[in-house]
Amino acid sequence: MRVLIKGAEIIDKNSTHHRTVKNVLVVDGIIQQISNEDNGAETIIDAHGLQLSIGWFDMRTTIGEPGFEHKEDIASVCAAAAAGGFTDIASLPDTKPVVQSKNVVSFIKSKCRDQLVQVHPMAAVTNNREGKEITEMMDLHYAGAVAFTDGDLPIWHSDVLLKTLQYLKTFDGLLINHAEDNHISHFGQMNESIESTMLGLKGIPKIAEELMVERDLSILKYTGGKIHFAHISSPKSVALISLAKSEGLSVTCDVAAYQLVLNDTLVQTFDTNLKVNPPLRTQEDIQLLIAAVATGAIDAIVSDHIPQDVESKNLEFDLAEFGMIGLETTFGIVNKALSSCLLIEQLLDKIAYRPREILKLHIPTIEENQPANLTLFDPNMEWQFEKSHIKSKSKNTPFLGHTLKGRAKAVFNNNHFILNY
Amino acid sequence: MSQLSVPHLLGIKELTREDIELILTTAKHFKEIINRPIKKVPSLRDVTIANVFFENSTRTRLSFELAQKRLSADVVNFSSSSSSVKKGETLLDTVNNILAMKVDMIVMRHSSVGAPHFLAKHIKANIVNAGDGTHEHPTQALLDSFSIHEKLGVVEGKKVCIFGDILHSRVALSNIFALKKQGAEVMVCGPNTLLPRYLNELGVKVELDLRKALQWCDVANVLRIQLERQTIKYFPSLREYSLYYGINKEILDSLDKEILIMHPGPINRGIEITSDVADSPHSIILDQVENGVAVRMAVLYLLAGRG
Repeated sequence: MRVLIKGAEIIDKNSTHHRTVKNVLVVDGIIQQISNEDNGAETIIDAHGLQLSIGWFDMRTTIGEPGFEHKEDIASVCAAAAAGGFTDIASLPDTKPVVQSKNVVSFIKSKCRDQLVQVHPMAAVTNNREGKEITEMMDLHYAGAVAFTDGDLPIWHSDVLLKTLQYLKTFDGLLINHAEDNHISHFGQMNESIESTMLGLKGIPKIAEELMVERDLSILKYTGGKIHFAHISSPKSVALISLAKSEGLSVTCDVAAYQLVLNDTLVQTFDTNLKVNPPLRTQEDIQLLIAAVATGAIDAIVSDHIPQDVESKNLEFDLAEFGMIGLETTFGIVNKALSSCLLIEQLLDKIAYRPREILKLHIPTIEENQPANLTLFDPNMEWQFEKSHIKSKSKNTPFLGHTLKGRAKAVFNNNHFILNY
Repeated sequence: MSQLSVPHLLGIKELTREDIELILTTAKHFKEIINRPIKKVPSLRDVTIANVFFENSTRTRLSFELAQKRLSADVVNFSSSSSSVKKGETLLDTVNNILAMKVDMIVMRHSSVGAPHFLAKHIKANIVNAGDGTHEHPTQALLDSFSIHEKLGVVEGKKVCIFGDILHSRVALSNIFALKKQGAEVMVCGPNTLLPRYLNELGVKVELDLRKALQWCDVANVLRIQLERQTIKYFPSLREYSLYYGINKEILDSLDKEILIMHPGPINRGIEITSDVADSPHSIILDQVENGVAVRMAVLYLLAGRG
C-alpha cells in the first residue's frame, strides 16, 4: 500500500527534514521517500498548509476494558485516540480486574497488536489499588507494563510508597502518582474557593494535592528512584516539583488539557461533565499552569480521558462520577489556548516526545526507511466540536458546541492509516 | 402586571432585588388575607402542585401545603426519606413520573446541592427549591427578610448576624444572598470550623466571639446545630458549644441594646438558644412561621404568572 502525503511541513526536531515542506511517501508502513518528487501512489493526501509530526502519545487514558465495556472498550478508545491524533496511549490500570497480573497486560496488548493505535498498559502499584500490598511489579514490568500507578487513587500509606520506590529501582521502573490527601478532600466535589462557598459544595483545597507532593518528594529524596506526578492542578505543586528537579531528583509531571482552559466558576451550571478530580481550579491558577507549561516546568500534557456512561453523569452533582473524555479534544483545546505563547515544537514536545521519554519508550522520527508513526494535522483549522465527532462510547464532555483550533487529519502507525476528514 | 424575572425559584442567587421586593410586597397582601375569617382565595384553582420531599421536613412541607391550599391549588405529596437513587430510580425518572400525571409545579427538597437546578434543565414545570443540600433554602430567606421588614420597617442598612453552623446551612447562604441584595450588613459567628472560607469575598463579616457579634447586630438569626449533616466532628462537644456559642438571657441582658432574635427551627433548646430567649418578647420565631405561609403563597402565585 502506497500513500503519498503531499506538501506537508515536517515538524520533527530530530529529523533532517525539520521545518521543510516535502512529499512523504509511505509504502507498507515504512517511510520510503521524503522528497519534492510527486511519485504515484494509491492514495494521495493533499497536505498543503498542514503539518506532519511523529505520532502523538497520550500518557493518561482510561480504557474501560476489561470490566467497564459499557463505558469504553479498547476498540472504541483506539478510535477516539486516532480521531484525536494519538497513535499511542498509556492506559490506566483501573479496569476490572485491575491490571495487576501479566494476563491482563497481555490481554490489552493483544487486543491492539494488529491495530493502528497502540495501547501501552500501566499496571497497579498495589493489589486492587487498595494502597496496602504491592503487586508483582517485576513480573508486570517484564510482561510489558510501562509504568506503575494506582490511577486516580493516591498511595496514601507512606511506607507502601517508600517500599514501592525502593522496589521499582530494581528495574528502573516509574511510579506515576495521583497526589491527593483524601482525608482533606473527603466528600469534596469541586475546587475550594469562593465558588464552592457560594454553591454550598464541599471544596477540595489545593493543599490536598500540595501536601502529598511534598510528602512524596521527601520520600523520593530518601529512597531515590523516580516519580511522575499525574494531572497536577496547583501551581504550588509545580513549584515544589521544579525545586526538586533543580536539586537533582528524578521527577516529572503532567497537566490535563482541560485544566488549562476550564475554571471553577463554570461549576455554577452544575454540569456534571465539569466534575473532575483534581477539580477545575481558578482562572489565576490556569494562567500559572499555562506559564509552567511554557517554561517546561510541566513536562507533558495529557487527555486524562475518563469515559462515563450517561447513567453515571446525568445525575445530581454530588452523586455523579468524576471525569471527562478528552482524547478527541486535547489538541484542539490546548492548541487554541497555548498557540499564542507556545511554538508548535514546544506543544508537540508535551504530547509526543516527553511522554515517550518519561516512559522510556522509543521515539520515532520522520526519516526515510523509518516506520511511519505519524500525525498529519492542521494547526489553524477552527472547527466546532459536535457529538457526531465523538468516537468514544461515552459522551461526557463539556466541550460540545465549543470552537476548537487545530485538528488531526490523519494518523499513521503499525502499517495502517486513518483519515479523519 | 408584575412578574418575576425567573421561571423557577431555584435560589436567591438567581433573583434580582426587584424580584425580592415583589415577593415581599405580594406576601404582605397574602398575610392580610390569611388573617381574615375566610383564609382562602381561588387564584390557583387550575394549578396542580406536587410537593416532592426527598428529605425529612415538617414545617416547610406543612407551610407549603397550607400556602397551596389557601390559593386553592390541587396538591399532591411525595416524600421519601431515602434518596431516589437508593431505591433504584433516578431523580429525573421520579419527577417525570409525577409530571406525567399532569402536574404544573414542583416544590422539591433534596439532599443534593443543585438538584433543583438539574431538574430545571430537564423538565418544563416550574420548580420551587424547598432546600437543596447545603446550598440554598430560598423561601426561608425570603420569610426571614419579610419578618425583619415587618418588625424593623426596613432591611436596608440593618445589621444581621447569623449564628452557628454556617458551613452546613442552606438557610445561612440564602440569607446572606438575600440580605446583601437588599443592602443589609451581614456577619456570621460561630466556631471557626463551622464557617466556610472565602465568606469575606461576599462582603460578609466574620466574628468568632459571640458577645462581640451580639453587641454588633440588630438582628440575631440563630441556626440549628445540624448534627445530621456533619459527617465528621467540627467541634468537641455540644456542652462546649452551648457554653461558648449558646445564646442565653444573661448575655442578652448584659448588652446595652435590644436585638431581635430569629431561628428557622426546629430549635435545639438549651444548645444554640435557651428557652427563656426563644420564648422572650424579643423572639419572633413564631412570627417567622406565620410569615412563611404568606411568603410561600406569594412565590407560588407569582411563579404561576398571576402577578
